[in-house]
Amino acid sequence: MKPHNVAVIGVGQTAFRSRYDGLTYPELAQEAVMLALADAKLEPGQIDAVVFSMAPTTFMGVADADKWAVDYTWARGKPFMRVHTGGATGGSALQAAHAHVASGQYGTVLVVGADRITETPDAQFVLNLIWDPFYEQDFALNTVTMTAVATQRYMHLHGTTEEQYANVVVRARRNALKNPSAHLKGAIDVAAVMNSPRISWPYKLFDICPRSAGAAAVVISNETLARERCTRPAFITGTSGVSNTVFMGDRMGPFADTDFADFAELKQAARECYRQAGITRPIREVQTVEIYDPFSSFQFPQLESLGFCESGTAQRLSDEGAFDMDGELAVNPSGGTLCTNPIGVTGLVRAAEAARQVMGRAGDMQVPNVHNALATAIGGSTQFFTVTMLSDEPRRAAA
Amino acid sequence: MDVYVMGLSIHPAADVIGDTRLEEMAYRTARAALDDAGVKRAQIDHVTLAGSDEIDARGITSMLLAAPSGAYLKDEMRVTDSGLTGLLLGAMRAASGDLQLGLVVSWNQSSVVPLEDIGRMRAEPFFLRPVGLNFAIAEGLFAGAVAERHGVSEHAVAERVRLRLAAAARNPRAVKRAVPGPDAIAASPLLAHPLRSAHRPPVTDGAVAMVLASGDWVRANPQKKPLARIAGAEWSVDRYQLDGDRLASLDLFRTTLAAVLERAGLDSVDALDVVELEAQSAWADVALVDALNAGSGVAVSPSGGAWAQNPFFCTGLVHAAEAVLQVAGRAGGHQVAGARRALAHGTSGFAQQTHGFVVMEGIEA
Repeated sequence: MKPHNVAVIGVGQTAFRSRYDGLTYPELAQEAVMLALADAKLEPGQIDAVVFSMAPTTFMGVADADKWAVDYTWARGKPFMRVHTGGATGGSALQAAHAHVASGQYGTVLVVGADRITETPDAQFVLNLIWDPFYEQDFALNTVTMTAVATQRYMHLHGTTEEQYANVVVRARRNALKNPSAHLKGAIDVAAVMNSPRISWPYKLFDICPRSAGAAAVVISNETLARERCTRPAFITGTSGVSNTVFMGDRMGPFADTDFADFAELKQAARECYRQAGITRPIREVQTVEIYDPFSSFQFPQLESLGFCESGTAQRLSDEGAFDMDGELAVNPSGGTLCTNPIGVTGLVRAAEAARQVMGRAGDMQVPNVHNALATAIGGSTQFFTVTMLSDEPRRAAA
Repeated sequence: MDVYVMGLSIHPAADVIGDTRLEEMAYRTARAALDDAGVKRAQIDHVTLAGSDEIDARGITSMLLAAPSGAYLKDEMRVTDSGLTGLLLGAMRAASGDLQLGLVVSWNQSSVVPLEDIGRMRAEPFFLRPVGLNFAIAEGLFAGAVAERHGVSEHAVAERVRLRLAAAARNPRAVKRAVPGPDAIAASPLLAHPLRSAHRPPVTDGAVAMVLASGDWVRANPQKKPLARIAGAEWSVDRYQLDGDRLASLDLFRTTLAAVLERAGLDSVDALDVVELEAQSAWADVALVDALNAGSGVAVSPSGGAWAQNPFFCTGLVHAAEAVLQVAGRAGGHQVAGARRALAHGTSGFAQQTHGFVVMEGIEA
């Protein structure tokens, strides 16, 4: 049985900010659904199934928030499932929805999620609870200290400087100026990043993403429906993921399959994604990427492992402007996760922004002539990875 | 669906599995499913997990469970609704064209957590949580609603408990229990009127795994014999509110059942040989069997259903495994002779907010 081609035909996202005190969680999710349905020019009744994108519920303290949101997202009476892979949740949820349509089970699927990280007074305390209670929770492990360790290792291997990471922040905040949904944005310089308060070496405050509240939704259809409903759909031409062990100590040394400094899992995921999408020279064939970068140090190893440049060269290329909006590869035109991080939907926002680039609907963020746009998401102890390719045409004949 | 079950494993069930870490339970179950299918982990190209952070008492339970479940350096994702939902997603992934051979793994070790407190934390914080809603109260509301709407009696409920436990006694994978007398059931503590403690199947620890393959993989590997074909799958969610009509109408159960039968190309429920229903109380069991409206030729819950074992989060997936074993002729003491098509059912959410169904079809020799 031949699989169906699948395309994004509508996206919606609220503005992201620290708090939404005027809306409940399901009302926030509903805002994004209404925007996505309007973008797709669909009514709720035209949605066949719903995939809910929701990461740890402990930030908000309502474990069944997805089921609470059923009526608000017009999911009642429909197939409905929640996907949760930590920070990679949005990427996994879109890929789960892709399976709904590619398998031929459903024609049109809505992916929706919301998050309100600031509902908890200390998100990093909550994030400490994701680790093993016997061996790891008693260390000062949270997502900041965890990735700071990996960053130190990357700096040791490649001689990266704090200023080079600061330059990534400057570019992200500058790009976000053109994104009406971005949480943080502004014209800042390297000195401002360097002078922001030290958090965990080498991170300063500005090297770290904000805690965001907001919602996002994406509508996907099979190729037949997508061509009827959308003049320029964004076809999902590659979907892949890789999960690694939780233990960071097992991801370094002579016997390790991967090294936690360079996100080598993405090499495997990208290889499969490119195979599906028919991509052989990513730097030539992909015009823009929306990569998951909650920390300034997340861009270089991702760009290298995704095959856009050789190992250890991303920092120099970044300094030279290769990843600016008018550079060789426009990296995170939206400002990326560094500027906006509603964890449960961040991966979905990455894919939504990539889709908008392909659809020509990115507004002031638009990169010219986008044929392929790539989105990533990362979760767990930087152990869950997804890679999704959005393209202007499908890469295989229609089912 | 052009998707096949190649092998499966059900972890030995017990009220408490206290000498084994959850990771070990998942590993042993996934390992046994691969062995049952006669395939190596290296051949697997994707893994679909189903687990609950709250029951496992971790923020992201798959962080620790993914690798022992076979997902180390594999394309893995997780659902949180129920084990059966993992099967539904795993089947769609196997049918999506780019993935061929996958594992579905789900687990439950709720003996070490206060399940009703977890239920309370699932409720929205404005109305339901302050009134103390938990699984027992939601089930009690359901029981009251079906008693009033459908005339389900406490006597019928007690007899259903005894019927299921008697069936479970023939199931080699069941936790062994005595069949209580009607008086003992009637004298058991009242949890939430009219629900009594003996009306609920005891929650057990357990795990279950399946190996799924695309039709392309099966045709390319003719030496590997599938246990069953997934002939159809459907699932749906009801509204969150627990009003009388939502509880008692059973509309969602009926419409989703009709949809899965249509998917499987079946005219009616009587085209099935076996149905394994998930009911978290005997009140639900009576109401759902009535709504099923099956003739006498259909064996309903021959395994004993949740009274055989009830690893709360993955009971529906256990039922799917039981359905596979029935059509493969491997069920054991409760084997239904000549079973060709078996329907598995699972639920999740307060008072069965969701219903999921999978039709398993036997493979001709």
